[in-house]
Amino acid sequence: MQTFWLALLGLLLSGYFVLGGYDLGVQLLHSFMKDRDAALGAMAPFFLGNEVWLVAFTGVLFGAFPHLEGSLLSGLYPLVVAILVGLVVGNTAVQLRRRTRRGRRWWQALIVAGGTLPAVCWGLVVGLLLHGVPRLADGSFHIGAGQVLTPFVLACGVSVALLFASHGAAFLALRSAPDLAVRARRAGTTLVGAAGAAAVLALVLTLLGVGASMTNPLTSAPLTGLLATALVAAWWSLSRGHRIRAFAATCCATVVPVLLVGAGQHPYVLATKAGAGLSVAEAAADGTTLQILTAFGVVLIPTILAYQAWSWWAFRARTASSYF
Amino acid sequence: MSAADLARLQFAATTGIHWLFVILTMGLVPIVAIMHTRAAFTRDPAKAAVRERMTRFWGQLYLINYTVGIATGIVMEFQFGLSWSGLSKFAGNVFGAPLALETLIAFFAESTFLGMWIFGWGRLRRGVHVTLIWLVALTAYASAYWILVANGFMQQPVGYQVRDGAAYLTDFAALVTNPSALIALAHVTLAALTTGGVFVAGVSAYHFARDAKETDLFRGSLRLGVWVAMLASFFVIIVGDMQFPLLRRTQPMKIAAMDDSGVAQVQAQLLQQYGPGDYTLPGEWLRVSMDAMTIIGNTISTITLIAVILLWKDWLVRWRPLAWLMTAMIPFPFIASVGGWVFREVGRQPWLVYGELTVADALSHVSTAALAISCATFIAIFVALAVTNWTLITRLARRGPDATQLGALQPLAEDKQTVPAF
Repeated sequence: MQTFWLALLGLLLSGYFVLGGYDLGVQLLHSFMKDRDAALGAMAPFFLGNEVWLVAFTGVLFGAFPHLEGSLLSGLYPLVVAILVGLVVGNTAVQLRRRTRRGRRWWQALIVAGGTLPAVCWGLVVGLLLHGVPRLADGSFHIGAGQVLTPFVLACGVSVALLFASHGAAFLALRSAPDLAVRARRAGTTLVGAAGAAAVLALVLTLLGVGASMTNPLTSAPLTGLLATALVAAWWSLSRGHRIRAFAATCCATVVPVLLVGAGQHPYVLATKAGAGLSVAEAAADGTTLQILTAFGVVLIPTILAYQAWSWWAFRARTASSYF
Repeated sequence: MSAADLARLQFAATTGIHWLFVILTMGLVPIVAIMHTRAAFTRDPAKAAVRERMTRFWGQLYLINYTVGIATGIVMEFQFGLSWSGLSKFAGNVFGAPLALETLIAFFAESTFLGMWIFGWGRLRRGVHVTLIWLVALTAYASAYWILVANGFMQQPVGYQVRDGAAYLTDFAALVTNPSALIALAHVTLAALTTGGVFVAGVSAYHFARDAKETDLFRGSLRLGVWVAMLASFFVIIVGDMQFPLLRRTQPMKIAAMDDSGVAQVQAQLLQQYGPGDYTLPGEWLRVSMDAMTIIGNTISTITLIAVILLWKDWLVRWRPLAWLMTAMIPFPFIASVGGWVFREVGRQPWLVYGELTVADALSHVSTAALAISCATFIAIFVALAVTNWTLITRLARRGPDATQLGALQPLAEDKQTVPAF
């Protein structure tokens, strides 16, 4: 049952990385897109539904893995606060930008900042979790500049931010009018390359022994291979103009960081180093609680997936930017 | 300030501001849903057009407020783990479940369906579109229910057993039928409807006072607003009072401190029950917040009762001072609701989970510097959001339906050929 909830937690975070990831990416690219209304309009119908995956992730984290929730969020305090600040500012700016006539520049700056800050910080979080965090005897930990400002963690930060940006570009290439799509496709090609370069740097640092310390190298290797394949496929499809394939490839690529943290460190949900840390069993809620949650979960999860899929289907056609 | 003070200030300020957005969201969404339903099922095209315009105008006011509500709500979800990790350590097995269910049952659906409703104008079938806003309304209240189940557990823990210093869920049915959650839900629902009703009535009256052009539209919303506010404010007082017997039993110090009678006696009793500690409460805080609720509640209830009678032949808005009075009422439900929130949460001190875990013991090991920075940042952003929210709402409310952007389709030329995207 713990495995079921771990998988569900992974699904929710993956969902957020894929769906929220392109939101952040589109925000990052906002200043570079000529038709800004259209760029935001492309993601507008899904924007509210995408953010929910993160909130649901946190809710399930608290419900099913309370012992991870407490130490993870308080341990990563500065990064989590930065992510939240970015999300609050970015979300509001995206939705309220067109409610005022003046101050468009301010809203734009906030939209870009609200995309960049969380994107980079998510990457830093991924880097820290792959590298391992310095847990104390009582299970708590605190990250400081010493842990964050290492070449590996920074490389992860840059890599994930670029990954989100290229994912956003692939999304715009898929869903916007020809002019904007061409522009997005070009930006996407460059960004995928840059994301790949940063990821290679992180990989080299890991091979040199100053990067990730994975509990399961045998699982991590194919996942890294998947990331490489997805990035190459994305680059190839973007440069050839295969928009659907390109978006599918960037979707795969954005899920890999979540899989690396989840599967690469299994059975540890908060690793201190390879083969040590807080295990799934220690982190999970009591069996009775999980049983009750499962009874709800088996009904709710398919329902959620169904209505989210319905909303994607209902708005599959490109939207005129009529509200955001 | 100590780390504990900073963490408490951060939580109180962010939750307090978030709450102001929430109560209007909850108050407006059923009203917008009613308007949309009436618009959808009106045969007469002229009337239907007015009602649809009405829905879009109030819908956009609701959405502006929802935007900041949801943005600040994301922060709420993280707060427990950030500053109060002792809570998950002690009560994670019990307290986490309602929060997880809230996100999965309510919030997920609310946000997805609202996104569809916003962009569904002219795109979805009418029946589907109206159903969506009702689903949004339903899930908004479902959200409130689960949050109050979690909060109810903090006020009056039930359905659990403590083993080795941690709480374990033993009776889920007791947890979800906790009277501290259910009565509070009824009270909060009615308070939200009062807030929404007064808001809609007040903005409509403003347009009459300023010689509105769209009298049909604002007559309709004025009627709906006054009726909702009258009914809700009448019952909100009754349901509020129903909580006293429960409080006397579960949180005796709250009542003793408010009435300033028998504090020493209750203190002695609590000492015996929970061991050494200061269990007294700031009586002034409790009195002021209770007075705010009582006075505002009774005044609004009286005024809206008279207003309902004066709706006949538009008397309510024919005489300008009366119309202005309706407008001037708008801020008061918010003040009362902050009072209610202060009364509930200040009255819980020094406990985080009543009788089991103190606020001080639940604090995370986060450095004071980090807390000071995050506290200042969050408060600055939240205040800025509140100002932005109310500026935008006031501006749109004054400009009227002409300024509505919601549902105004501007199809692009190339948009006619639909491009499959997924």
